[in-house]
Amino acid sequence: MSESASSEHDSHHNLVVGNKKLLMWLFLGSDCMFFGTLISTHLIYRKLYPEEYDPTQLFSLELTSFSTFILLMSSFLMALAVSAMHKGELKSFRRNTLGVIFFGLIFLGCQVFEFSEFVHLGLTLQSGTFGSTFYLMTGTHGCHVAIGVFWLTCLLFYSYSGKMDAHESAIDVEAAGLYWHFVDIVWILIFTAVYLIEFIGKTGGAAH
Amino acid sequence: MSSTVTATPTTQSEHPVVLSPERSKLGLLRPDHGKSVIIDWLTTVDHKKIGIMYGAIALFFLLVGGLEALIIRTQLAVPENDLISAQRYNQLFTMHGTTMIFLAVMPLNAAFFNFLVPLQIGARDVAFPRINSFSLWAFVAGALVINFGWILQALEAMGLFSASGPTEGMNDFVPAMGWFGYAPITGIKFTGAGTDFWIMGLQILGIASLTAAMNFTVTIVNMRAPGMKMMRMPVFTWMTLVTSLLIVFAFPAITVALGELMFDRLFGTNFFVTAGGGQPILWQHLFWIFGHPEVYILVLPAMGIISEVLPTFAKKPLFGYPIVVFSGAVIGFLGFAVWSHHMFTTGLGKVATAAFSLLTMAIAVPTGVKIFNWVGTLWGGRVRFSPPMIFALGFVWMFMMGGFSGIMHSSAPADAQQQDSYFVIAHFHYVAIGGIFLAVVSGIYFWLPKMIGKMWKGNLSTWVAIFSTVGLNVTFFPMHFLGLLGMPRRTHTYLEGFGWETYNLVCTIGAYILAFGILLLVVDIIRCFRSGEPAGNDPWDARTLEWKTTSPPQVYNFGKTPIIHARDALWEDKYGPENRKCGEQAEDGHGIHMPSQSWWPLLASAGFIPLGLGLSLMQAGVPFMGYFAIFGLCLCTVGIALWAIEGPGGYHLHPKKDA
Amino acid sequence: MTEAYDIPLPEVDKSAENEKYHTFVNLALILAAITGVELVLVYLPFHTVFILSTLLALSLFKFVAVVAWFMHLIYDKLLLTLAFGTGMAIATGTYTALLILLSSEDVDHDVITGVLGYF
Repeated sequence: MSESASSEHDSHHNLVVGNKKLLMWLFLGSDCMFFGTLISTHLIYRKLYPEEYDPTQLFSLELTSFSTFILLMSSFLMALAVSAMHKGELKSFRRNTLGVIFFGLIFLGCQVFEFSEFVHLGLTLQSGTFGSTFYLMTGTHGCHVAIGVFWLTCLLFYSYSGKMDAHESAIDVEAAGLYWHFVDIVWILIFTAVYLIEFIGKTGGAAH
Repeated sequence: MSSTVTATPTTQSEHPVVLSPERSKLGLLRPDHGKSVIIDWLTTVDHKKIGIMYGAIALFFLLVGGLEALIIRTQLAVPENDLISAQRYNQLFTMHGTTMIFLAVMPLNAAFFNFLVPLQIGARDVAFPRINSFSLWAFVAGALVINFGWILQALEAMGLFSASGPTEGMNDFVPAMGWFGYAPITGIKFTGAGTDFWIMGLQILGIASLTAAMNFTVTIVNMRAPGMKMMRMPVFTWMTLVTSLLIVFAFPAITVALGELMFDRLFGTNFFVTAGGGQPILWQHLFWIFGHPEVYILVLPAMGIISEVLPTFAKKPLFGYPIVVFSGAVIGFLGFAVWSHHMFTTGLGKVATAAFSLLTMAIAVPTGVKIFNWVGTLWGGRVRFSPPMIFALGFVWMFMMGGFSGIMHSSAPADAQQQDSYFVIAHFHYVAIGGIFLAVVSGIYFWLPKMIGKMWKGNLSTWVAIFSTVGLNVTFFPMHFLGLLGMPRRTHTYLEGFGWETYNLVCTIGAYILAFGILLLVVDIIRCFRSGEPAGNDPWDARTLEWKTTSPPQVYNFGKTPIIHARDALWEDKYGPENRKCGEQAEDGHGIHMPSQSWWPLLASAGFIPLGLGLSLMQAGVPFMGYFAIFGLCLCTVGIALWAIEGPGGYHLHPKKDA
Repeated sequence: MTEAYDIPLPEVDKSAENEKYHTFVNLALILAAITGVELVLVYLPFHTVFILSTLLALSLFKFVAVVAWFMHLIYDKLLLTLAFGTGMAIATGTYTALLILLSSEDVDHDVITGVLGYF
């Protein structure tokens, strides 16, 4: 997240990949365990109490599919933004990044709407294990999206400051991009493992 | 970078060039080249200074944890003792475990990582010097938060403070639920704010460990000097790499588990609250998914130290280097697959129990391979019984004893008998003191002359070795019998007539012998600091690169980056054929690029203190603590933002030709 | 500012980036289509096991596709795949084992149900 010094330049002969890139991928590997723990906590409690809850009464697959689509498309734009940065095209970078931020905000909006709907319907953070695990997992993911939006906004502003050199900042944009894609793939898993699975064999349950 | 790097004169002048601090991109002066020693140490990004600070703080906490252990042993010396209350006893054993693991052994390992790894791989610093500084100060913040309860507890004892708010009436401000924090006792219905201090402190320490571990992984992969191939790296560096990867992949489990526990206590969620359907068993799983790799996080660096010391003092290359490295990696990897052996008695089911039993036994294989390789290294060597060697030999023997009782635990039926008895305590203290502690002392005797440039005086080390080895055996060997006689762990006293009295008294006497040994160690370290005898570059005739440079090393480590042609680089340089001697990289005329110091990592990690204390004190009903926590979060964010904006900077040094 | 100064970046081949553009567009379309298929699939009257395994396979494909192309992993060094893959493998292995270890039969549903059922 923060920019750090590579302390020197004269002993890079064993350099395999850039320091920041390797750091970012290590962080993502670590984050796999992080979200793995969150998602599996949810799945374990669903497995332990299969009958006690019926989330199909709550979930709106249309809305969730829409936000999944939005996040996938934002990932696409992010890939274009990184690509633009590598080509040194600042304008294209700004356009695509703005798109990512916009889509990220839509996703967050959907999540806020979804949460307020659920609370209305009686599912709160204190509602048994389901409320706890569901809100903590999706909420943590939402926080990650929000951090990503903040990070990209900072980069976007930085690109207007005139100090940004496309060649020099490519790695920073790429790191932000990796983070954004990771948030996207976590949602891909959550969409299937938390939402879709509930509806198997319960067709027609998604009526609202 | 060009705009922020000091433009030092390119001509080499006779007089030292006076460096002045530059302005960062924020327009503020960087804390480089200052006169104030305190500011210099607070803002340092030098891995050697950071390592020394880690070591000093860790040694302090080692003494604190030791003192807690002594009080515990004194309480248990005789049956039905009432020296301390049951609650105080619980707090002491909880803090003893937490302190020793997270505030003594892990940072002691980090001290060695920091000081040695860049030197051993021929680098000028770590990959991310400012993240390194952040890790150190975040560790300090976590240590303060976790120990803050003692102050409140003292105030409570004087009648000046008592809990209100969510934990009203629960005046346990020091954690008292064991270092593993098993649910449901960590629930808000059962324990007071002490648990919150523990959660917040551990969470902060986790962040410190994670950032440090990622930093070291990148450093070892990317910053090696030319020719320092992976299979030419010293084993200690290899073990640092494995340990770092273990931290990277194991800590998120406890981060999430602690987060869930925090939500249970702060926001009334039901992750581990039985009344809401929460399953305490899940906490045990999540804790040990982290907890078992943690065991190897503690012990692998010790194995690395031993693998450096034994060959040096046996005058022989490490026997079977690739196999030692590979075994370390296998131990690390298998460490993720055995967590449930801490939970045999919870009823996992036959298949699971058998599987975890087998996997646990499998870990004994690479460990045994390592021990045979160490013995093989000694075989036929010209052994010198210098102080580091004495402790290293002690390690091999004592660690093996801990390993033997560990093997006994891997058998589920035997474990069912030993679970929660003193047998387990005997086992892991043989590993922790006989293994890790002796290795760390060996490392201190080996590397302190390099760190401070002064040589040990006299032979107090022999007495340290005698007292600590005798002490640990007298303390912990009888505990095997106590366990088999059925004495349970974590009980503040016991009745007469179970046949436990004599053993307990012997244990307590042993604990004081061990404590005396540690006291002698502290005295010896102080004597070393006051010693006038210079250590010289290479006092032990050692094998690895850190002994090639001066003692203490210059801030830039190596005047010219070495080029490596073989394993055991320094031995080859001293005694090897011409084509295996170290080369030197040609200067590029720009001087040595040094990273700038920075306030912001310190500020960012200082924010953890109000954040952690605020959330915990809020639970104890102290007013306005929610705002205090938010203030801490803001401090963190501001620190990280300024850190990102200021730019790394840097300046150039021009060491004299002969340096 | 960054390491860009320290490491000579490989000269960017613009035609390769343009080729990537087409890959990205195709991938985005495929991902969108798969999401649509997933949504429809849960409503279809197929056997549960079939739907479940198809859903898992599809989401796994989406996961791998984003990691491989959007995140450049197939264009990048193997080391990065190892760093991420290790984390992914440990997480998958650990939590699959944990899901198998914990079973609904170990829970006394009669006792628990009394305190649950908030909605």
